[in-house]
Amino acid sequence: MPLSVVVQITVSGALMGMVYALIAYGFQLTYATSKSLNFGQGELVMVSAFISLTLLNIGLPYVAMVPLGILFGALLGVLVERAAVRLALQQRSEGWILNTIIVGLFLVSFAENVWGRDDRPFPTPIPADPVHVLGVDVTWLEISVAVGVLAIMALIEVFKRRTLLGKAFAAVSADRDAAELMGISATRTVTLSYALSGAVAAFAGILVSPITTVEPTMAAALVLKAFSVAVEAGLESGFGVVLVGLILGALEGLASLYIGSGWRETPGLILLILALAVRPTGLFGKAIIRKV
Amino acid sequence: MLKRLVLVRGAEIALFVVLGALPLAVHSPYALALLTLLAIYGVVLIGLDVTVGYLGQVNLAQAAMLGLGAYLAGIAVTRYGVGIPLAIVLSGGFCTLVGALLALPALRLEGPQFALATLSFTALCATALNELEWLTNGAQGLQIPRPLLLGHEVDARAFFWLCTAILALVWLAMRNLLSSQWGRAFEALRDSPIATDAMGVGTYRHKVAGFAFGSGLGGAAGALYAFDLRYLQPQTFDYGLTVTLLLGVVLGGRKSLWGAVVGAALVALLPNLLSSPPLFRAFSGIAFALALVSGVRGLVRRKTDAFRALAPIAVTLTLVIGSFLASNIEDWRRAIFALLLFSVVVGLPEGLMGFASAGLARLFRVAPPDLPPPAALEQVLPARAPDGSVLLELAGLSRHFGDVRAVDGVDLTVKAGTIHGLIGPNGSGKSTLVNVVSGLYTPSGGQLRLRGAALRGGKPVAAARAGIARTFQNLQLFGGMTALDNVMVALRGAWRVPLPLVLLGLGRLEELRGQAAALALLELVSLRGEARTRAADLTYGAQRFLEIARALARRPDLLILDEPAAGLAQPDVQRLLEIIRRIHQRGITTVLIEHHMDVVSELCEIVTVLDGGKVIAEGSPAEIKRDAKVITAYLGAAEPDAPAPGAAPAPSAPAETP
Repeated sequence: MPLSVVVQITVSGALMGMVYALIAYGFQLTYATSKSLNFGQGELVMVSAFISLTLLNIGLPYVAMVPLGILFGALLGVLVERAAVRLALQQRSEGWILNTIIVGLFLVSFAENVWGRDDRPFPTPIPADPVHVLGVDVTWLEISVAVGVLAIMALIEVFKRRTLLGKAFAAVSADRDAAELMGISATRTVTLSYALSGAVAAFAGILVSPITTVEPTMAAALVLKAFSVAVEAGLESGFGVVLVGLILGALEGLASLYIGSGWRETPGLILLILALAVRPTGLFGKAIIRKV
Repeated sequence: MLKRLVLVRGAEIALFVVLGALPLAVHSPYALALLTLLAIYGVVLIGLDVTVGYLGQVNLAQAAMLGLGAYLAGIAVTRYGVGIPLAIVLSGGFCTLVGALLALPALRLEGPQFALATLSFTALCATALNELEWLTNGAQGLQIPRPLLLGHEVDARAFFWLCTAILALVWLAMRNLLSSQWGRAFEALRDSPIATDAMGVGTYRHKVAGFAFGSGLGGAAGALYAFDLRYLQPQTFDYGLTVTLLLGVVLGGRKSLWGAVVGAALVALLPNLLSSPPLFRAFSGIAFALALVSGVRGLVRRKTDAFRALAPIAVTLTLVIGSFLASNIEDWRRAIFALLLFSVVVGLPEGLMGFASAGLARLFRVAPPDLPPPAALEQVLPARAPDGSVLLELAGLSRHFGDVRAVDGVDLTVKAGTIHGLIGPNGSGKSTLVNVVSGLYTPSGGQLRLRGAALRGGKPVAAARAGIARTFQNLQLFGGMTALDNVMVALRGAWRVPLPLVLLGLGRLEELRGQAAALALLELVSLRGEARTRAADLTYGAQRFLEIARALARRPDLLILDEPAAGLAQPDVQRLLEIIRRIHQRGITTVLIEHHMDVVSELCEIVTVLDGGKVIAEGSPAEIKRDAKVITAYLGAAEPDAPAPGAAPAPSAPAETP
């Protein structure tokens, strides 16, 4: 195997890993405020991608579609929180796991019936031509994914640190009860985190669709790997996901190269189980002391 | 007793008689195939219910277990000519093993992390089944002949009977398991894992065993599945199936054998219900009517909040409208399934059988079986003569949290047969010290010896088995269990019948003996009359006493009472004093952490005072009261720049937990 091919596959894989990182970042947003996450997040990615595609098909320009698509994702996120999460959180139960799975199940079936089961190309003005960087071919599309992921994450982090609403977000993440006593509505902050998480999912869909094409089960594999990334990095750590995403993406590329393309998913899955076994709080997470 | 036998057992027998007789009335091969699937799913869901219902964890690995079992059976039959019974045993055994291996890492986790680990396992299995073509034939699928059973051809009807018989056996075995110590341990660890460990039951061990057992049932059912369909494809056992199985359990009702079978019926039959539009219209109409009635009733009586009442109405109304608009209901199958589930999860969180059994219980009022007379206390808690030897010895024991020295080099000796008081202001390190001794915290340094034998610390189960039992300042009862079960689950040395015999129902005698022993302990704390009351429903004082009875069930060498009088009303404090005296008479060594100085001075022969994680005084209660350092610690120093008495200086160690 020539080294250049190995490097090429590693780099392409790592760039795809950025998408896993972005979806994983969406898990962190809701986990921070509510210790819950949306098991149907992949379906949010998929439905948002279909909606964005529909917006393009009715003649909207790409630049107008992006904010609308993200807004729609945010609305979906709010819907998930209201329908599937809020009641369970009030009851302090883990019912949200099941409820978000149910919402995801519904969305897949909905998409199958509304948009059909076929693969659909997702047009984009960004060219798919390769550029030669340091002896590796990278497409503009792949670069746009990396830039987009980092940009939206940076934007949300700035929001969390610089705005009053963002500080409320941080306060609820740190201590829900104390934040409530200070007059911050934890419920609304959780809703906000789900909106942000939905927006992030929609943006991930818009970024990745030109590469993967759009179909109802497009996000099933994506989200599984995003779970791995989130758990391995730790559900509470901010930028750790990017690093883990890059590594996992690269590993996947190498696995499909050396073991066979059917096995490309396995490194993430095995790493997830191992990570949970060795360090349940993730590489960048903090240890928990249980109190009696 | 007779009524119970007739109603409860009668209903179970009726279920299996009807199920078994159905093929005599129904001749369509298609209907027979559905019934067979129902029986197989019944076994799968009973297995899944162990984790989802009893352990309270979302388990997404059951489809993988079904798949592994099916493929193993298929391969064993096609390659090695194994017969049906051996194939079932092989698949069941293999998946029990796989379940145990997966559980070892995964069950250290809780909630979402556990769900994710099992989800990954399912994806991993689907990949492996697909890619290991030399073994599984990959995506092309595996053809399996149905071997002879005891030299006879097995036709569809006979195979259905075989599956039903296995379902009945599994039902029986599961019922025996759940009404044994195992069932109690499962309940207990969900209510309070910490107390389950501290009572020496072992949370982790029972979780792993439960998960492995449930997985084994999944595997055994997989073998049946393979012989039923006789053609296997890897993609059958994917995320979709695992979710369907999970939802079957929830829909039918968690923690219920009936629920598992009802869920199995729904999962097996629902797709066919949806294939005929008039049937589906009727079905969704009924669902809507039910949601409307119960929702409006709940709202009027102010029992349910708006969301729980209105969401199911809105969702089922969508179904009704959809049933008239949509031309291709079959295509919307999964969406309909999701909507139905959503309304059940929101509107009937206990599932269909949970809802039905609550109604049936009101209707028939079956009394629980009678209790045996209590055992003699001398048998349960043999009196021992205090010999004045050293029981517990701490040498330089410390526990630091970061820079905070919550316990900072404590030397302490507790003599056998005494009541040893441990006092100190808030944050002085009492609770941390107790947590180290009872194994909840690993010591940062120093030595811990019980009867001269070193205890390593950090393992509550090990501490409990060494003879240390404790109560908790913040009650850690098993709230959903009766007072009797709370004590029984902690009984030391009472549960010796091995698992296979328990499954066969041979644990009854042991069970009766356990009940008698537990009743004796309840009598000791004057709670015998409340034996069948749920712990969560007891008064606050009674809950404190129940914790003491539960700790005594360990027959401890050392009993640690962590602020037993906290929050008690005066009459209850008197009862507490009486109980502690009775315990003292049995010769049990007690360490009493207490804020009530009157309780301490009345009971303790010797008192140790902690402050800032260090021992500042030790002696008789009278000596302690006069000790200058103790007075300073509690009231502050009488210096000009010191805070006024009453506003005690904030101690440095924030070890006191709320």
